[in-house]
Amino acid sequence: MAKIGVFVCHCGENIASMVDTANLVAAISEHPGVEICLEYKYFCSDPGQETVKRAVREHNLTGVVVAACSPRMHEQTFRKACAEAGLNPYMLELANIREQCSWVHTDKEEATEKAIEITRSLVEKVKRNNKLYPISVPVTRRAMVIGGGIAGIQAALDIASAGREVVLVEREPSIGGHMSQISETFPTLDCSQCILTPRMVEAVQHPNITVMTYSEVEEVDGYIGNFTVKVRRKARYVRMETCTGCGDCIQKCPVKKIPSEFECGLGNRSAIYTPFAQAVPNVPVIDRSRCTYFKNGKCAICKKTCQIDSIDFDQQDTIETIEVGAIVVATGFQVQNTSLYGEYGYGRYKDVITGLHFERLASASGPTAGKILRPSDGKQPETVVFIQCAGSRDVSKGVRYCSKICCMYTAKHAMLYAHKVHDGDTKIFYMDIRAAGKGYDEFTRRAIEEDHAGYVRGRVSKLYEENGKLIVRGVDMLLGRPVEVAADMVVLATAMVPQPDAKEFAKIIGIGYDEYGFFNEAHLKLRPVETATAGIYLAGACQSPKDIPDSVSQASAAAAKILGLFSREHLEREPVVATVSDSTCAGCWGCATACPYNAIDQRDITDRNGNVIKRVASVNPGLCQGCGTCVSFCRSNSIDLAGFTEKQIFAEVMAL
Amino acid sequence: MGIQEQYRSEAAGLLSSGAVKLVIGFGEGSTVERRRPVFVRTPAETERLVLDGGCVANLSTYLLTEGLLSDGKSVAVFLKPDGIRSINILAAEAQLNPEQVVIFGFDIEEGQVRALEGRKASDFAPVIGVAKAAGLSAELQKEAELLDQISAAERFEYWKDQFSKCIKCYACRQVCPMCYCRRCIVDVNQPQWVNTSSHTLGNFEWNIVRAFHLAGRCVACGGCDRSCPVNIPLRLINHRMAKEVLDAFDYYAGECAEQKPVLATFRQDDPETFIL
Ligand SMILES: Cc1cc2nc3c(=O)[nH]c(=O)nc-3n(C[C@H](O)[C@H](O)[C@H](O)COP(=O)(O)OP(=O)(O)OC[C@H]3O[C@@H](n4cnc5c(N)ncnc54)[C@H](O)[C@@H]3O)c2cc1C
Ligand code: SF4
Ligand code: SF4
Ligand code: SF4
Ligand code: SF4
Repeated sequence: MAKIGVFVCHCGENIASMVDTANLVAAISEHPGVEICLEYKYFCSDPGQETVKRAVREHNLTGVVVAACSPRMHEQTFRKACAEAGLNPYMLELANIREQCSWVHTDKEEATEKAIEITRSLVEKVKRNNKLYPISVPVTRRAMVIGGGIAGIQAALDIASAGREVVLVEREPSIGGHMSQISETFPTLDCSQCILTPRMVEAVQHPNITVMTYSEVEEVDGYIGNFTVKVRRKARYVRMETCTGCGDCIQKCPVKKIPSEFECGLGNRSAIYTPFAQAVPNVPVIDRSRCTYFKNGKCAICKKTCQIDSIDFDQQDTIETIEVGAIVVATGFQVQNTSLYGEYGYGRYKDVITGLHFERLASASGPTAGKILRPSDGKQPETVVFIQCAGSRDVSKGVRYCSKICCMYTAKHAMLYAHKVHDGDTKIFYMDIRAAGKGYDEFTRRAIEEDHAGYVRGRVSKLYEENGKLIVRGVDMLLGRPVEVAADMVVLATAMVPQPDAKEFAKIIGIGYDEYGFFNEAHLKLRPVETATAGIYLAGACQSPKDIPDSVSQASAAAAKILGLFSREHLEREPVVATVSDSTCAGCWGCATACPYNAIDQRDITDRNGNVIKRVASVNPGLCQGCGTCVSFCRSNSIDLAGFTEKQIFAEVMAL
Repeated sequence: MGIQEQYRSEAAGLLSSGAVKLVIGFGEGSTVERRRPVFVRTPAETERLVLDGGCVANLSTYLLTEGLLSDGKSVAVFLKPDGIRSINILAAEAQLNPEQVVIFGFDIEEGQVRALEGRKASDFAPVIGVAKAAGLSAELQKEAELLDQISAAERFEYWKDQFSKCIKCYACRQVCPMCYCRRCIVDVNQPQWVNTSSHTLGNFEWNIVRAFHLAGRCVACGGCDRSCPVNIPLRLINHRMAKEVLDAFDYYAGECAEQKPVLATFRQDDPETFIL
């Protein structure tokens, strides 16, 4: 006989103001099988939980329904309370009369009626609940970090320093990410390379870190604690094991006029190259699409030059399969393609450049050795116009968000320019100056007060060339009049956007993304580092626009989460897993195809003599995540999900 | 020699050499236009085989008779392109081994029978390719469009009327090669998802469930439509589902034996318009 206890929570006024709880209690008390029904202001409080426990003990309850908030909030709380009172924790259900009822309705009478139905339906479900026991699975205590920018490097170092193995996967020939391209960093103006390279070197030399550059993740299988990742190591055509990084091959390569990606096209590289001088690892790659040898079999000068015969034109891509227990995604961002901004003339005028170009011009290791020289004729620009929010906060360009870093780096650019070109003139068109952050407002004030950055509040409407000058036309909103500046160079503070392949990548590894392609966290406020996929974490600008301090903090947070996970050898998993009915399964394997976790295998059923009489689907409970996809696929209803059996769901629906 | 004679003698040859243990074909029916399935086990019996414009049924259904193929021996069967497509689906869904199926392929055009080149399901890939390129039946499309022109409420009334006739005989299920489940959803009574009594709700549930279970699997052989004793236009429902999967996913059921079930897979470039 079912003896169900129902506990109606007021959630302060959250529920009680829209649901007549006395009525609810009266109606539910009448329902068959309900032994006791109580109401209380906060059942999640200590005295509230004590009440539940006491009722379980005193009435020998066989099931509990707490009519309160979403199971996402307090399922664990009440499961624990039930377990402490001696009831199997899976004999508990939460009837959500808050998010799904009181919060979304305005008519108290109707809301009360709905709350009664929701609660009744969960009472019918819980009557059919079965006792379940958690599944214990081993944890592979090795992490993978995808993306070797500052965020990825930081996460890898933190995990490795705590004694766990890390595989750091970077798709470019060198780790470093955008930070390696930046000249000096706000808000302290320390040289970016100088603070980054020690970290890069530490990562590659760390005994617990395996760095895989020029490599990409192709497939992720498994679940928290037990992922299997396939990584493609692209052929470098240079033997990593022997190359000493002397660079002779790069010197001798005759194909030299290739616009360098690292220099944003402001400088050139050869067909065999390292992206920049401090690259880690310092082993070049051959760009197959540009190499003469790969075009017509001639040349091979690099191979002849190399004294230790490290060039290997026959190298092939290889696929490595790596077992890890947790994954950090730190794949970073891209700078928006500014060709969207016809009115700003990017792509048409050589001297209209992006912020990233400016970083390269200002960088001591850049194509101009740190001198600010404009791309068209290499002359020093006397007047520079900066345009903020070039792309960001602009619905018509598809970017509604604020890129967060542009106000700061534009102030930085104005300062760097003032330090390098003493009699130069700057004009910065801006919408707002957003400088929230430690030392940030002080930094922009310094740009204005000490370095005379010429801020003009307003948008630019037109930009054209006239007599060798770039004429920038806009409005000064504060003075309420048009302005026109004749500039020698224009710098666009372009939006920070997701990697172009972010959505495809998210599908490969199985995490969510927002409308733009930034990866989704599990909860924006309370779980900003986790994804909705257990065991996969986020760090850096792949989640949303971030500066270096934010990226690094999140990376350390992700590392802390993983170290917490790795502190145990085993992991307790929810026993909500699928099972197949052998007698009715037709062996169509539709479920096996549909299962996103590859949890379904084929199993032979044999007679006494060992002859196969039937082949059926079989769920591996270690892999099953209880998503229910197979259940909904199976036409003959031959699969059932523990905790959400067909009988339970049917009873739940029929009680409505 | 006409194709009927040619196929008769080939069938006799296959049986006498032991290459197949059974030939499933068409024989005389109760009237001149009607053809009924015959099961031929000896060369002499091949005389009973008939092939003409009346041979419309999709005989692939009979291949799934419990135990028929479990001895690993081959069976020959007379099939039109729709039947060949169902062999591909059944192979893709692991219900039979296509190597065990020898096909006497034919097609009917304006009442005339034409032989199709090939013996194994995979040999007919070009024929199926042509069928896919030609698109779904224009005739059915015209009929279906009439329904699209009326309002949703009127359409609902139309189907309510139609379904009200259903007597739950499950003839549509029995005739369909893809309805091979060991236990059909209507036979599940713990819990009883589909109401088996013959009233509006139960009838709706059954017909909608059947339509979904055949979405991306129906080959438009017309078996269910012909077998329905109360003339519910099942062809229109099947056609609609086939059109949906073709338009949305470029999926034509039974193209080959390696085809993955449309409702269990996704492609990276699936439109997803109905999710987001
Ligand atoms: C013009 C400009 C100036 C800036 N100036 C400053 C400043 O002064 N101070 C400051 O704090 N911040 C500054 N920033 C912001 C700073 O660049 C970012 O905060 C920081 O680079 C974010 O680091 P990240 O590791 O998240 O991403 P990234 O630096 O973008 O690194 C991501 C890495 O992941 C790799 N990757 C991507 N996809 C894959 C994949 N599928 N598989 C493997 N690897 C992959 C990429 O190749 C890259 O190496 C500036 C940004 C710009 C654009
Ligand atoms: S979908 Fe159903 S019938 Fe098909 S293999 Fe899976 S459990 Fe068996
Ligand atoms: S519930 Fe089914 S589809 Fe989902 S993970 Fe488990 S076996 Fe796979
Ligand atoms: S209607 Fe559905 S469940 Fe029933 S036999 Fe056909 S496919 Fe199977
Ligand atoms: S649903 Fe009807 S038309 Fe479609 S394959 Fe089955 S019997 Fe043929």
